Amino acid sequence: MKHLALFAAAIALLALAPVVLGGHGLSVMTLTLTNLVLAVGLNLVAGYCGQFSFAQAAFFGIGAYTTAIMSRDLGTGVWINLPAGIIIAGLFGLVLGVPALRVKGHFLAIVTIAFQTVVYLTLVQWTDFTGGQNGILVPGVGETSILGIIRFNVQSLDSYYWLTLALAAVAIVVAWRLVHSRLGREWIAVRDDETLAQAVGVNTTTTKLSAFVASAAFAGAAGALNAYTMRTAAPDDFTIFISSIILAIMILGGKGTFLGPIVGAFILTIIPESLGEFSRYKMLFFGVLLILTITFLPGGIMQLVRNARTRRA
Amino acid sequence: MDLFLQYLANGIVVGSSYVLVAVGLTLIFGILGIVNFAHGEFYMLGGFAGIGLATVLGLPLIVSLLGVVAFAALLGFLAEQILNRQVKDKDPTNSIVSSFGLAVVLQNAALLVIGPQPMLLRTDLSMVPVEIGPVYLPLQRALIPVAMIVLVGALHLLLRYTWVGMSLRAMAQQPTVARMCGIRVSRVAIVTFMTGAVFAGVAGFLMSSVFMVHPLIGNMIVLKAFTVVILGGMGSVTGAAAAGLMLGIVESMTSAYLGNGLRDIVGFLMVVIVLLAWPQGIFGRKLERS
Repeated sequence: MKHLALFAAAIALLALAPVVLGGHGLSVMTLTLTNLVLAVGLNLVAGYCGQFSFAQAAFFGIGAYTTAIMSRDLGTGVWINLPAGIIIAGLFGLVLGVPALRVKGHFLAIVTIAFQTVVYLTLVQWTDFTGGQNGILVPGVGETSILGIIRFNVQSLDSYYWLTLALAAVAIVVAWRLVHSRLGREWIAVRDDETLAQAVGVNTTTTKLSAFVASAAFAGAAGALNAYTMRTAAPDDFTIFISSIILAIMILGGKGTFLGPIVGAFILTIIPESLGEFSRYKMLFFGVLLILTITFLPGGIMQLVRNARTRRA
Repeated sequence: MDLFLQYLANGIVVGSSYVLVAVGLTLIFGILGIVNFAHGEFYMLGGFAGIGLATVLGLPLIVSLLGVVAFAALLGFLAEQILNRQVKDKDPTNSIVSSFGLAVVLQNAALLVIGPQPMLLRTDLSMVPVEIGPVYLPLQRALIPVAMIVLVGALHLLLRYTWVGMSLRAMAQQPTVARMCGIRVSRVAIVTFMTGAVFAGVAGFLMSSVFMVHPLIGNMIVLKAFTVVILGGMGSVTGAAAAGLMLGIVESMTSAYLGNGLRDIVGFLMVVIVLLAWPQGIFGRKLERS
């Protein structure tokens, strides 16, 4: 109950952001929430299930291109494109998950990087379908309604922000439910000791595949909505660098903890975006941070919090 | 047929560079159990160092080559300090993340210092033609497979017959026993990283006359090298040599007969197929792949 109240208060507070923030601040907040959904999703497969993935940006891209291509070719609206993005990204999660089942640790990292690269190269080179390097323009969400009852017009920066906030809230609730379900406990069992998990009757194949699919579906949702916010889908937004940013967010926050990626998303989006004229050092900053965190604080910020708590207790 | 032979020769030239990068990667993995995602950056920086020495300073090629070797060895030494010394005794996936971080740092440092414009090494050797039957190569390219054979051969002899080589192999087989037998583990780690970096740096220098060098080139190269290492079997030097040449030839044929767009994708498809069919690699021994 206490958690729920805190969560509701946080969302309500964030919903007020457009009142105080200007255009740039609001774009940064929208980006923060998008990164949050991506990192929470990555945490499901990498943090809870222990299956490293460098492919989160690929699923992000698959979600975005689903929106872009469906709007272009079928003229569908957001309430069809968003679920479609989730489903298609989830299916690609399965495509990555099947070969990834055969490998662990290092090899898994390589396979996910290869997948990430293949998706990127396809987006760049399949010009007829994906628009190549220029990408595809996406129409705005415009006037829409939920089940024809609640009507609203998504046009301003504020409304895109609120839509992203709604997605982030739903994503956090879904992730919370998943992690605290039987499936979530099976993920943790596979991460901690796969042989033992198998011995006590966990179907490790479906467990791992479900983690890949869930993680990809989160990224697909973020991508499908982000394409509307950016009004475009272009391949350079879905490179391995984006994957590394998401990874850095999860690791700095604390992998395998619920709050870690959420805290990480706020820190690692807001700080680099406020660097101003130093923003060209952004990626350098991510790289150094990734090395320092994994070397000196592998459990991330949440490890510090936990240490402080145990010391007090 | 003549064209086929020409494609084959081109494939061997590119494949030779894959071999040089992959051999270092497979050594570092086989001996230290570290997957070095920053390995492509040794290649990239080797290429830039070579262009800097040969074109900007106008040094003779052989002096430039020695300069590249020294520079790459230094890089390897520093990388070992960051990737092995610090992270060694913790979770093995940590070295993946920190080497990935190092790759991001080196790429972006190169982007900031050198800038994004691609560069090409131009030398007098590119004017000298070498013709073997119907195959035509500039001397500069024809030297790449020769250099590869010399270097890999030297490495083979070093591993087989010298004290250093034996301690490297001992570490690969049984690190604990090797340590008990008095092998200086920390020194072996440094030698391994330096060797790997030198091979990759030399490959970068040699290839800077064939492909443009730019700060992000390492990404693709390290993936190609991983492809080679997976195909050849992790930790196997001969496997890496065979698989590297194979990948170069397959890519050359693919881009010639199926379309240039598929060139970079074909290797990854091979990786997926090989992992599904022969998880230990085509030339690898049966090992637990974890």
